Amino acid sequence: MAVYTSPFLKPQVSSLTEPYRATFNFRDRPSQILKFPSTASRPSICCTMTGELAVRTEEGDKNVREASALQRPDSFGRFGRFGGKYVPETLMYALTELESAFRSLSKDQDFQKELGGILRDYVGRESPLYFAERLTDYYRRPDGEGPHIYLKREDLNHTGAHKINNAVAQALLAKHLGKNRIIAETGAGQHGVATATVCARFGLQCIIYMGSQDMERQALNVFRMRLLGAEVRAVHSGTATLKDATSEAIRDWVTNVETTHYILGSVAGPHPYPMMVREFHAIIGKETRKQALEKWGGKPDVLVACVGGGSNAMGLFHEFVDDRDVRLIGVEAAGLGLDSCQHAATLTKGEVGVLHGAMSYLLQDDDGQIIEPHSISAGLDYPGVGPEHSFLKDIGRAEYYCITDQEALEAFMRLSRLEGIIPALETSHALAYLEKLCPTLPNGTKLVLNCSGRGDKDVQTAIKHLKI
Amino acid sequence: MACNSQSSFVHGKSFPTSVTSATAPKRSIYPSLIKCCRGRTTRAKAAVGGEMVLRTGDAVRRSPLPEETAVKNSGKFGRFGGKYVPETLVACLAHLEAEFYLAMDDAHFRGELETALRDYVGRETPLYFAQRLTNHYKVGVNGNGPEIYLKREDLNHGGAHKINNAIGQAMLAKRLGRRSIIAPTGAGQHGVATAAACAKLSLDCTIFMGSQDMERQSSNVLLMKLLGAQVKVVDGKFKDATSEAIREWVGNLETSYYLPGSAVGPHPCPTIVREFQSVIGKETRRQAMEKWGGKPDVLLACVGSGSNAVGLFHEFVGDEDVRLIGVEAAGVGLDTGRHSATLSKGDVGVYHGAMCYLLQDAEGQIVGAHSSAVGLEYPGVSPELSHLKETGRAEFHSVTDQEALQAYRRICRLEGICPSLEASHALAFLDQLCPNLPPGAKVVVNCSGRGDKDAAFVFQLNQTSTQRLEALLN
Repeated sequence: MAVYTSPFLKPQVSSLTEPYRATFNFRDRPSQILKFPSTASRPSICCTMTGELAVRTEEGDKNVREASALQRPDSFGRFGRFGGKYVPETLMYALTELESAFRSLSKDQDFQKELGGILRDYVGRESPLYFAERLTDYYRRPDGEGPHIYLKREDLNHTGAHKINNAVAQALLAKHLGKNRIIAETGAGQHGVATATVCARFGLQCIIYMGSQDMERQALNVFRMRLLGAEVRAVHSGTATLKDATSEAIRDWVTNVETTHYILGSVAGPHPYPMMVREFHAIIGKETRKQALEKWGGKPDVLVACVGGGSNAMGLFHEFVDDRDVRLIGVEAAGLGLDSCQHAATLTKGEVGVLHGAMSYLLQDDDGQIIEPHSISAGLDYPGVGPEHSFLKDIGRAEYYCITDQEALEAFMRLSRLEGIIPALETSHALAYLEKLCPTLPNGTKLVLNCSGRGDKDVQTAIKHLKI
Repeated sequence: MACNSQSSFVHGKSFPTSVTSATAPKRSIYPSLIKCCRGRTTRAKAAVGGEMVLRTGDAVRRSPLPEETAVKNSGKFGRFGGKYVPETLVACLAHLEAEFYLAMDDAHFRGELETALRDYVGRETPLYFAQRLTNHYKVGVNGNGPEIYLKREDLNHGGAHKINNAIGQAMLAKRLGRRSIIAPTGAGQHGVATAAACAKLSLDCTIFMGSQDMERQSSNVLLMKLLGAQVKVVDGKFKDATSEAIREWVGNLETSYYLPGSAVGPHPCPTIVREFQSVIGKETRRQAMEKWGGKPDVLLACVGSGSNAVGLFHEFVGDEDVRLIGVEAAGVGLDTGRHSATLSKGDVGVYHGAMCYLLQDAEGQIVGAHSSAVGLEYPGVSPELSHLKETGRAEFHSVTDQEALQAYRRICRLEGICPSLEASHALAFLDQLCPNLPPGAKVVVNCSGRGDKDAAFVFQLNQTSTQRLEALLN
């Protein structure tokens, strides 16, 4: 396994101590998230899911940090200083139980066989690795040189995105845990539809939390979820959008933890979710390795994926993290521009804090309050990011850039016209980055881009903005 | 289709027109226009010993065909099919047929097609055991019932089986040096598939669509435009769009290729479409063998013009122990006259260049078809399916709009799969079929498309009262 020797911790930033201790006191915590300070005197861990409590840490042991860098995550669910389990005590048992079940089922041949069968026959895996000939020609330089561009076709999955890989596996896991009640949060509705889909498939009760603002904008997706048998509950608190729906879903889980499993849709949240969701999506990268070998007898040189919470990117990257000759590039949403404050470029503009149970980069103001993000694509419209991405950024293993709404729309159109594939607006962010990337790549570079979803859901938005 | 000859029309009338049944005492409106071309083909001789001999210049190529589906000299399936077209198109169609068989004989073309089907379309599509749907139909104390499998054509790129044919024919057109594709579409799935294939292959694409269909499938119209296709509106529905598309094609024979999405039209169109769609049945045979070591007992598919049904059935026509069931749209009800149940209620006639069953009145005029599923609204039907009905090899039934909608909701709720309203017709027939099947019978239903395009329509229906339902469906 590779050793990361670069100083992944900036001198002024501290990490968790070993062993990990939690002290939980609601009474005298300030009602805000504080920034990640450098000189706290002793560790104290607070829940930040409701946006009301703060977190502090202190300098840790350098050897421990280096050792934990080799495990992703370590035994405490940390990726370096990121990740962790910043949750109320009532959820600790559920998370521990979930982790044990996950680890044990990972080795269970029957479970793996059942999951494999569902991924094959229900989801439609394996998804192809498609050589995008016209897109490759488009980026060919005047001297005829340029990279070879391949698309990993997660858009062909059942429900039209990569989300189902994780939803299906978590639903199966919940069944094995004897939990027949599933909850989830959703923004635009894609994760909600994926969750409702798998609950219908497995005959599980399904409750989706959705901000009331989002419900109005996505009435058709709400109808779809109800058609699939799910109950959609409106959340009116805060800004009535995704982050509030997430908080409400977590509250439900705290109350009903013995009967309920929470299907988190991304590699965010408290440990073991980032690890678990990554593992369930890792099939993307595993298939890519096999298909690359079949097609050109080697590995990809560059992997590109869009990053909202980060699940599709981790799913593609994870297999190749230890292959130092494979470049990993994540593309976030710059919205209306980084200077406009209307963006979702967490890894570029965010600072470290704790949100929804994990330490990671997040978009927060000077008082530690969450800044409402913006992106034309709902799936990238998240103020946090998976802790493992924060870690990969800090150690320099992966690079992160961002793309504006306008650039994404142009890329959306470009792929539709050149390859007859209408990508999701989320995916379009990754596609847009090719404009900047391809001119710099040597001839024959093998580039694999995760086509994480199809764009049927975005047609109205695109037509409106592109004025077709 | 691609032609090298300049077109002209006999008597100044445009093709296509309808000709009444050859057997019933009905008057033909344009008797002089349409000539039976049975004796006049081409370079293809009758199938001999299961082989078709084609002459191309001085070279002779042999393409083996299954004996029981060997196409005779003018593309007849029993008395159905044929080439009821103006003289100018006969040579053109013959040329197309020859080029088609040459292409299918070419290992390089076949290799490229296989790669496109695998990496672009996403084949092979799964044969999925629908556990909860199977349980739904179990009866009695012992819980006996058939086992229901869904052939997941909804997972294809574009969301339906249409792309199998669209990509194959677009590649054929490119091979023939054609730059411009013309296609009619009903529900829009064939339009989307054709537009996608044309974008990928860098071909110009013009799609003809009926104005009434555009209103009901507006999401597909947007998709076609995004994919770079030009969408031309035709007053009416799919049958009118088809007629207009053929007119456009005939006016541009040298540069354009007519790409039909259905297994209808003059020979060789039904055969070409069937051959490209037959991948569905071929995969099903292999997957059935892998899963339960046998063949399906029953194959079930919805029938509009018949492309997904022939695609599934064709492989098994020679297997007499496999039951073939097609399900048409009974619309508002067979007795109301507002349906698309061509094989149940139609008479034999010639439409769009082929003899087949079709919905016509006593004067031989085409009767408009109706269904909540736009893709099933076609007054004609595949000549091959017409033949399978007449010989008793396949059975055809129908379900109403309401039954289809119930099936749509049922599959969403039980399997988390939203089928298209078209496929929902096949799924609805399970209600009548399953109680009559022996326990453990293996039923394969062609889930021919996904229902995202219908969600808005079903959503609207939900908001609308029963009394306004009729108005909405008009």
